[in-house]
Amino acid sequence: MSVTSRSTPARHGAGATGRRPGRRLRPGRIVLILVLAAVGAVMVFPALWVFTTAFAPSNEIATGALIPAELSLYNLQHLLATAGAQDPIIRWLINSIAVSGIAAIIVAIIDSLAAFALARLTFTGRTAAFYVITSSLVIPFPIATLLPLYLEFEKLGLLDTYGALILPYTANAFGIFLLYQFFKGIPAELQDAAVADGASRFRIWRAIFLPLSLPVTVTLGLITFMNVYNDFFWPLVATSSPDMRTITVGIEIVAVGQYSTNYTALMALTVLSVIPMLIAFIFAQRRLVEGISFAGFQG
Amino acid sequence: MSVVEQAGAGVSAGRATPRGQAPLHGGFGRRLRRDLGAYAFLLPYLLAFVIFTVIPVVFGVYVSLHKWSEVSGDQGFVGLGNYTALLSGTGYYGSEFYQTMGNTLIFVAISVPFLWAIPTVLAYLVFQAPAKPLWRILFFYPAVFSASAFGTIWSYLLATNGGSVNTLFHVNIQWLTSLPYAWIAIDLATVWATMGFNFIIMYAGVTQVPRATIEAAQMDGAGSWARFRRIVLPQLRPVSIVVIVIATIASFNLFVQDLIMTGGGPGTSTETISMSIYQEAFTSFNAGTATAMAFLLAVVLAAIALVQYRFASRRS
Repeated sequence: MSVTSRSTPARHGAGATGRRPGRRLRPGRIVLILVLAAVGAVMVFPALWVFTTAFAPSNEIATGALIPAELSLYNLQHLLATAGAQDPIIRWLINSIAVSGIAAIIVAIIDSLAAFALARLTFTGRTAAFYVITSSLVIPFPIATLLPLYLEFEKLGLLDTYGALILPYTANAFGIFLLYQFFKGIPAELQDAAVADGASRFRIWRAIFLPLSLPVTVTLGLITFMNVYNDFFWPLVATSSPDMRTITVGIEIVAVGQYSTNYTALMALTVLSVIPMLIAFIFAQRRLVEGISFAGFQG
Repeated sequence: MSVVEQAGAGVSAGRATPRGQAPLHGGFGRRLRRDLGAYAFLLPYLLAFVIFTVIPVVFGVYVSLHKWSEVSGDQGFVGLGNYTALLSGTGYYGSEFYQTMGNTLIFVAISVPFLWAIPTVLAYLVFQAPAKPLWRILFFYPAVFSASAFGTIWSYLLATNGGSVNTLFHVNIQWLTSLPYAWIAIDLATVWATMGFNFIIMYAGVTQVPRATIEAAQMDGAGSWARFRRIVLPQLRPVSIVVIVIATIASFNLFVQDLIMTGGGPGTSTETISMSIYQEAFTSFNAGTATAMAFLLAVVLAAIALVQYRFASRRS
């Protein structure tokens, strides 16, 4: 089944509940909303505290106030002004965005090409290739391959480079699986018509399958971006010089190092690190939800 | 469904054939060109797959059968020696392996039930509530925090002196440096940050439950809890298994938030198998032992995933 046909009943069901007459005023409904609001408050308060700490005026934290009287950019400015060669925070942020962005684009393209071949072309060894690739889904990353990958990159002399930070993420079987399911659902007539017109296989992928799968492909790119951006274990071992670190590793370095007791600076850094993800999340929330739901059902 | 059998730009339009019937009439040369053309699509991925998945796995098995140090390289074949030293439970590595594996199992036991139950109940509640997008954002937004970010955040919130939680509740608990609070702290942070992902999957599952069944039960006078337990929960079985597998594997891999929040302490009581693998590999430079540990963990995880999926597919 395709992503679109999966999500339609979900939306229909959601609408139907709201439109039912006489449900809104029942006391059970008020209890329900109160319970959800209580859980929602528990979810929101930690982030609220963090944001207010990060944007508190410098002297505010000493008073122990949970909500500061005024908001200030002092902590953020101070953090950036004092960043030295050992903690180039802006560089870490740029590294993270660049590495995740490039990995996401590579994954989206090569997974789309491979999924197209597996789902819509006939060739010798197709079934075998499909099973070998999807069975790699059960390999628990990163733990099983972390050290051998490190040794491999050491042999290639590629440790502490952007290549090391990006390339290992390009072997993404999840994306193949996701796009394979989607391509299976595209009507055969479209492909047949293009074949009859004499279109090459690359052209059929480029002009029909890629545009039709754009929402799923973008979702895959976003999920990849978020996974790579938030990864910690691999960038920790693959890099060693301050300039090559990513922001997640950077936070850990300063959290256990010079800022271990300076919580306002640490919270400012954490907030800074989350901004790119927050932007991605705001724009992609709906797509992400559909992608995760779909992936969950395919199991 | 049809296939494209045209070999290249120079050849005129191919003929669509039903899937599964290889177009044998084309002859060997034509079939070869068809196959080469298809593998050109697969090539970029296959290269990445071989270099970054297959070689590391095979090379890892090789390293785990050797005494191997990152500093001095291969120091000789030891067969299954690294594995038996770990599994015997005796000696330094054996006792460390069982201890950190035990710690990891404690975390799996205290995190997976919450990572399944809370999202499941919330999904059922949100399904009946108005303003669904609002609840979805409230429960899911912590996904933007990386493990090092939310580990740092909760270290701050749970700090003994001046931490927001102790201040708010007027208590003086040593959340990060005493037991059982260190585990509760790591569990709390992990559930807070990652349960939203499971909520999204469970919610999608709840929307697939046939409305007619729920309504019929309602007509028969079944209360909200009874409808949840007898109708909704059994229907959510396949999705629940997916969520439990994801949560189990993620919990077995516990590393970053633990490292930041407790550093494996107090003592070594929250030191997990991942931390132990990391130390053997990158502090003690014991690559052979570290890869053997990683593969034992990988085998356990792959087995859990396979058993649970097999179980799920047989029942559905």
